[in-house]
Amino acid sequence: MPTTPETVYLLLPELTLLVFAVLIFVSGAFLPGRAGWSWLGATGLLAALGILYGQMGAEPLRTGVFGGGAMSVVATGPVLIDQLAVASRMLVLLLGTLFIMLTARTAARTQEAEFVGCLLLLVCGLNVISMAGDLVLMFLGLELVSIPTYVLLFLGSGHAGRYTPQRQESATKYFFLSVLSSAMLLYGFSFLYGVAGSTDLADLFGVLRAGQGAVAGSSMFAKLGMVLVFAGLGFRLTAVPFHFYAPDVYQGTTNPNAGLLSIVPKVAGLIALVRIAMLAMPGLEKTGWQLTLAIALVTMTLGNVLALWQNNLRRLLAYSSIAHAGYMLIGLAVAYAVAGGATGSEFTDGMGAALFYLMVYSLATAGTFAALTYLGGDNKQVDEVDQLAGLSQSNPRVAAALAIFMFSLAGLPPLAGFWGKFGLLFGALGVDANAESATAGLWPWFLGLTIVAVINAAIAAAYYLRIIATMYFRPTLERPAADGGVGAAFATFLCAVLVVYMGVDPGPWQTAANRISRSSRSTYRAVVASRPVILDAGEMPADGEQGEEFDDYDDGFAVARREK
Amino acid sequence: MLIAAIFLPLVGAVWIWVIADRGHVAIRQSALVSSLLTALLAGWVVFHYEPVVPGEAFASLTLPWISASSPIKVQFAVGLDGVSLWMFGLSALLCVTAILVSWETITDRPAAFYGLLLLLEMGMLGVFAARDILLFYIFFEFTLIPLFFLIGVWGSEDRRYAASKFFIYTLAGSLLTFLGLLAIVLWDFSHGGGASVNPDVPAQLTFFIPELVRNLQYHPMPFELQLLIFVALFAGFAIKVPLFPLHTWLPLAHVQAPTAGSVILAGVLLKIGTYGFLRFSIPMLPEATAACVPALLWLSAAGIIYGALVALAQTDIKRLIAYSSVSHMGYCMLGIFSLTKFGMDGGVLQMVNHGLATGGLFAIVGMIYERYHTREISQLGGLTKRMPLLSVFLLIFVMSSIGLPGLNGFAGEFLILTGMFQRAQAESPVGYHWQFLEIAALAVFGVVLGAWYMLWLVERTFFGPLKEPHHGDDHHGEHPIRDMNFREVAALAPLVVLMVWIGLYPQFFIERMTSSLDPLTTRAESNFEKYYHMDESHGTAETDKRAAPAVAQVPVSADKPVTIDGHPRKNLPNSTASAAHLPLQP
Repeated sequence: MPTTPETVYLLLPELTLLVFAVLIFVSGAFLPGRAGWSWLGATGLLAALGILYGQMGAEPLRTGVFGGGAMSVVATGPVLIDQLAVASRMLVLLLGTLFIMLTARTAARTQEAEFVGCLLLLVCGLNVISMAGDLVLMFLGLELVSIPTYVLLFLGSGHAGRYTPQRQESATKYFFLSVLSSAMLLYGFSFLYGVAGSTDLADLFGVLRAGQGAVAGSSMFAKLGMVLVFAGLGFRLTAVPFHFYAPDVYQGTTNPNAGLLSIVPKVAGLIALVRIAMLAMPGLEKTGWQLTLAIALVTMTLGNVLALWQNNLRRLLAYSSIAHAGYMLIGLAVAYAVAGGATGSEFTDGMGAALFYLMVYSLATAGTFAALTYLGGDNKQVDEVDQLAGLSQSNPRVAAALAIFMFSLAGLPPLAGFWGKFGLLFGALGVDANAESATAGLWPWFLGLTIVAVINAAIAAAYYLRIIATMYFRPTLERPAADGGVGAAFATFLCAVLVVYMGVDPGPWQTAANRISRSSRSTYRAVVASRPVILDAGEMPADGEQGEEFDDYDDGFAVARREK
Repeated sequence: MLIAAIFLPLVGAVWIWVIADRGHVAIRQSALVSSLLTALLAGWVVFHYEPVVPGEAFASLTLPWISASSPIKVQFAVGLDGVSLWMFGLSALLCVTAILVSWETITDRPAAFYGLLLLLEMGMLGVFAARDILLFYIFFEFTLIPLFFLIGVWGSEDRRYAASKFFIYTLAGSLLTFLGLLAIVLWDFSHGGGASVNPDVPAQLTFFIPELVRNLQYHPMPFELQLLIFVALFAGFAIKVPLFPLHTWLPLAHVQAPTAGSVILAGVLLKIGTYGFLRFSIPMLPEATAACVPALLWLSAAGIIYGALVALAQTDIKRLIAYSSVSHMGYCMLGIFSLTKFGMDGGVLQMVNHGLATGGLFAIVGMIYERYHTREISQLGGLTKRMPLLSVFLLIFVMSSIGLPGLNGFAGEFLILTGMFQRAQAESPVGYHWQFLEIAALAVFGVVLGAWYMLWLVERTFFGPLKEPHHGDDHHGEHPIRDMNFREVAALAPLVVLMVWIGLYPQFFIERMTSSLDPLTTRAESNFEKYYHMDESHGTAETDKRAAPAVAQVPVSADKPVTIDGHPRKNLPNSTASAAHLPLQP
């Protein structure tokens, strides 16, 4: 697909972000100190949001995500836009605005311009991941998320002793492991390129779909590629065994940064995983669900159990975020199973549940870190669980908001987190609901998964309750500074309201998430169908003998031959 | 009206939050007003109740909730039937009591306290009114949050541990229950859902309880799946009841909770467990229920005896009453899972009775503690002399609790034991006769034990020479220990009225249950009989041979119900038949 003016048009929100980021970086060098960079950054984000919203109403995107109806898939250049792309861009832009608000005051002390600029680039990177239809663009997006993160880990708030050894350790650790994971990811991409003969994800989809049985040799490479992609993205998702950096890094950094780290890489990782390993690799559902199920089991159990013993708040929340990554992977496992089982009815679609969970988790986590940021001050930030003691008396409103976030993360009704878990468990239990489908044999596995998941939810309640109990049942030890600024307070409030609102009326959100995930399942099919060269399963040689001839060639070559 | 009753406490809680700065007099007054209004509304609904056919509900209201453009049909459906009716009324009533007994003790953050209490009330009313599985579960879980804070903030010394243990224990169980409930819904859907009953109905993933019950009769689940789901549901409900040996959270939570918390926990929240069994396990999983009956009965009997024995050994009044709850809830379970008409009627009635009696007892313990700042039995004695009125109330509650005829406890326990003996004697399946008889005998023994520890408690604390703890200061002289004041009488009097009413005329309460409970019982009984092949084997020589040694107890169980319950016993021919056989046995 050639790049056309249309590509540029569709990239306008991201370009806006880039322009604003560059503007902030450049003028920040000449206007040191506070100059309302946060306002400028927020303007940039909102402008991008506005443009995106405007594009949704016009050609070629036409129908909106939330308006109902099917949106046509637009593939131009390396860019691929479907409902999933539009929705996740909106979510990311909103989260970005939330983070600008959250850090508005604490970031203002030092290098605010750099901080805000990096934040914008990071959001831009996330957007690129959401709309990447090409392995190279995907990798570019992931790096555009990673590189500003390294900088952010060194920047952050204006606390005294900014360059403490812990912070340096945390940034260095993140840097090296992130580079390692990128390398693994690239290695995986190279296998996928080998299989597809193209970096285009739709091509990969087409080849794998058509190649079922016909090009047997490639399926092993595809599997290898999938495993490596899981390894690379597992680092972003903090899935076990790629999780071990998270507690150290979170602990060593500031509260806003930890919030950023617990949300942004997860969004990036989950969407990239869905785009590459899930949607673009048909025929590998079995490997997929086995892999995700195993990772999900280990990840949530390890995260929850280790969180029980933590006294440092950020370390605790790091383990909790690991556990939540495990829950999200339940959804992906279900989605693989459903994809393999031919029927993908709405309620068992684990992908929608995972996306909804991602949204719910992001809101509650952002709110938690916003509240912690607000409780901090110039020279001091909240580090230990004990520092929250008696918060219900010193800052009753913040305590109430934190309690809401904790209950939501623990998954209690009537808060948003409950519906997140509801969707995942429902999907996982429903894997066997259509007993005649190919997924019928899987159900003991998924039953086990749900049982482990609910036991985990009970374990998780223990440490979330500990935070609440500390806030409510203990006398005040020291009054927190509560000097995090109006922005952080407002972000806390906003998140709390949304968490409660989504808990009371989850219907529209869940429906939207399910619709998005369902429509994204047919994205690649639509793209492949719209291309001049159609490599359809029906055209492939059906019997094995002819199929074996193809084994001698690499798949890219096979594709090329058919094009003639 | 029903929905107004459910959400009025929420309005009250919000209002209290608004006026939180106006001092605690205004707060507690508004709390009282909103709970009184709620109780009036609930009372109105309850007394206008007209028996409904199964599947229908009184004052029902159904609104779509999460059903937009998807096959999932989750509704905001509320309504009352015979099973939930009295528990609904009891919840509203006990909340008034709870607020009145907290009137002066709660001075720390009163706005939060009363607000949470009202939220708890909303949760409880919602649980009993919900007709949608998800709605039920949401209210069910929601009750945990306010109670967690009530115990944790306003409880006694060990409150933090107690609150967390209570919360996590209950949550762990109820999450498994949640899985079970979801599995029921999914199974129903995958086997046609409502379409299998009526082909015109579109296939929907329904969460509507009556619809599920109906559908599952048309396409019953395979036995293994039922058993699996039964175990899942059991995890949550049995912890809530609490059934021995899952009761360990209860004494701790009760003892540490503030008086209002104990009253509500014992009075209402425990019943959610038995209610859950009645609402879900028995109608939806009939075969699994039948299969588990022996085990459940054994556990109930073990709970009865264990609770009673441990209660005997307690030195703390509150702890004693907490263990008596374990024992008494065992009776409810025993009655319900005898799966006989008397047993089930008695079980449901006993849920109400226990709520009244134990709620009242906890309130009285709270009053004693308020006056003496101790709950140690050894430090108290002869309180009758100091507080005659309080002693009268205590005696009434104790008598009700041990089942004195004329008060409500008798009616409930009697029906339960009748039901159990009926199951053991006349309708026991082959091979289970002895077991059931032992269980029934143990239950009777439990009644004796119950009378023992309760009366012993009264004797030690309220009779004999006056013994009061020394305060070590002289405010004792300035503020002499006073008897109950008007507020305290007002808190307990409605309970006493109801107890006498139930005791003298249980028929009023039972006949409002029967329209919903009878079909449930009949189906459960027939399933039970089918499961144990009692159709063919009943009355065979083997059964009767095993029945022979226990002959002496037959009259006890078989005769009296006819007098208390008006209408003739369904199984009377059976028991006379077996009685007719008896002379033939050596």
